[in-house]
Amino acid sequence: MSTNLRVVTRRQVLAGSAVSAAALASGFPAPAIANSDPIKIGFLPALTGPSSSTGVGMNRGTELAVEEINAAGGVGGRKIELIVRDTQSDPTKAVNAVAELAQRQKAAVIWGPLNSGEALAATPLIAREKVPMIHPCWVDQLIDVKKYPMAFRNAPTNQQIGAAANHYVMDVLKLKKVAVVSDTTGYGTASVDAYVPMLTAKGAEVVFSGHIDAANPDLKPDMLRMRSAGAEVIMPWSVNAGFLARILNTRGAMGWDVPVVGQTTLGSGQTKALLEKPDYWDKVYSNNFRNVCFNKDGKLPARAQEFVERLRKSKLDMGDTLLWWIAVGYDAPRLMAETIKAAGSSPEQITGYWNQLKPWPGVYGDISFTPEQHNGFPDDQVIMCEVSSLRDGAFKLAPGYGA
Amino acid sequence: MIESIVSYGLAVGAVYALIGITYNLMFSASRVFSFTSGMLGMLGGVLGSLFITKFGLPVVVGLVLVLVCGAAIGVITEIVTVRPVLKSLEQHLYVLSTLAFALMVQQLVAIEWGTDAQPFPRLIPIGPGWLDQQFWLPMLACAATIVGLEFLYRRTLIGRAFVAISEDSYAARALGLPEQGLRMASFALAGMVGMLAGFTGGEMLLAFFGNQPTLNFYGFVPVALGGMGSNRGAVIGGLALGLFQQAANFLVGGIFAAVAVFVVFIAILLIRPEGLAGAATTRRV
Repeated sequence: MSTNLRVVTRRQVLAGSAVSAAALASGFPAPAIANSDPIKIGFLPALTGPSSSTGVGMNRGTELAVEEINAAGGVGGRKIELIVRDTQSDPTKAVNAVAELAQRQKAAVIWGPLNSGEALAATPLIAREKVPMIHPCWVDQLIDVKKYPMAFRNAPTNQQIGAAANHYVMDVLKLKKVAVVSDTTGYGTASVDAYVPMLTAKGAEVVFSGHIDAANPDLKPDMLRMRSAGAEVIMPWSVNAGFLARILNTRGAMGWDVPVVGQTTLGSGQTKALLEKPDYWDKVYSNNFRNVCFNKDGKLPARAQEFVERLRKSKLDMGDTLLWWIAVGYDAPRLMAETIKAAGSSPEQITGYWNQLKPWPGVYGDISFTPEQHNGFPDDQVIMCEVSSLRDGAFKLAPGYGA
Repeated sequence: MIESIVSYGLAVGAVYALIGITYNLMFSASRVFSFTSGMLGMLGGVLGSLFITKFGLPVVVGLVLVLVCGAAIGVITEIVTVRPVLKSLEQHLYVLSTLAFALMVQQLVAIEWGTDAQPFPRLIPIGPGWLDQQFWLPMLACAATIVGLEFLYRRTLIGRAFVAISEDSYAARALGLPEQGLRMASFALAGMVGMLAGFTGGEMLLAFFGNQPTLNFYGFVPVALGGMGSNRGAVIGGLALGLFQQAANFLVGGIFAAVAVFVVFIAILLIRPEGLAGAATTRRV
């Protein structure tokens, strides 16, 4: 995106000031000429760097949504201008981009950052700049109506993700002895620390829990320890495809027929590519979302099916990404456009509208907010899926959901 | 358990030993401790996977291309990061220029290759089990490298010239040996050995840009343990490190295995700063 620098003369400034002063004095709204300006949405995906696969997928949905909205005439005659700043998976770059989007570009609203690490750094700054934001990051602390009253989440929290996996292990698979493992990243350790007490509170016996150095290429010692502790299920929490693939490869090489239930990356193409045998992906269940999963008959819900057909028409590639990433990227600008059309584009108008948002039917999920609850994703739409069923970026619901 | 400790420990130890030899080859010729060793190991896996999996080239052609790339990168390392600094500095600050070069290459790999681990092809379809190529291939490469280097140093004129340069570069130059050319050749050789480490350990370590710091650290340990410049010391240190690391994985597990490795490493260096196989050097004043 380029920004044209215009030379403003002293005379223009004086003339503009006079018009503004007259408008203020007469109590009239701002001159109508402003309404033809584009509505600026600041967008902070990580399109490069170690956490970019999510951002690349979501970016496809976001660009499609903005194209569709503008092709249909924009929002009340105003076009949407998507100002994209690649955070390069780097929190520092995300923070710099926020300063630019808020102060120089005067973005009406910010979509992102799309990774928790960057969002943790950027959210306080966006709150200070008083720009309404939506992000899809899972870390619980990112939503706090007192500290960040203009921050909203259109995706589940880590608590919801963990609760869905724990529910599947204990209530659907009926397994009680659990091994919970992670790599040594902040995300991994925080997840284990959060989910082990949740499991214990539900009555599970956590027979093994620990953090494993993801650089260690041999996981057999740890896996043997899990087996000898009597684990009936392994729950790994990591976004590192190499680490997860090594767990599955070691499980296969040991001939250990234990289910693996955990993070969405278990079902990613990168993890699949690292498996020594394709059937090492069997009995692996990862988090996913009901609205974008195939049911037992291999059909997507109507809303998602219609969306996939639109993606095909737009020749958008789904094979190397996940449907839910594209869907969540698609939903956010649509919700923003609808909000601005209905309520206006000032921060207070946008926040006020979101605070009353009744279940808004997105492709990814039905989002609702209240003044006290800015986590908008419903619990019952966080489910587990069967990773070996991956087709066109979407999965089949895991056995036991009866859908 | 014992079988797994031995097969896996020796295999990963052989990779560490080869990286240690890479450090030594560059150090002997230039007195520069070049932190491009881990980078070469990382590139061996990435380029091997690129040539064989992505381009579909035969394994032998892939290996030859990887070694050629290793030699070329070795020469570039010498020209870009070592030669200009050696001209103007006597201190060991030039380590930083090699580290900067290695980090640049790593970032380039991250951008072009991607930041996720990618599969390395199975070169010889034997296994699974302890006969799996991922275990014996690095050991074979390590043995071949050591035998090759011994032959080079003891039986060939150019090898003796390498030894002369590493013993006393001033005297060797006074005798008319082309120090600069020999240093370039040493860096080319080091490039090939480093790449071979990553290539033969590729199935175990995967084609992953993040292997660079791991190999830099764990490849440095055998050099420090075995004594700088001693290839035999590096092999013994590397294999011992691999075995100890794997035993620690079994006995204490998780992240504590890495802690155990470094506790022992620090303890050995405190007791014998010159390394287990190294001799304390005396300096005539």
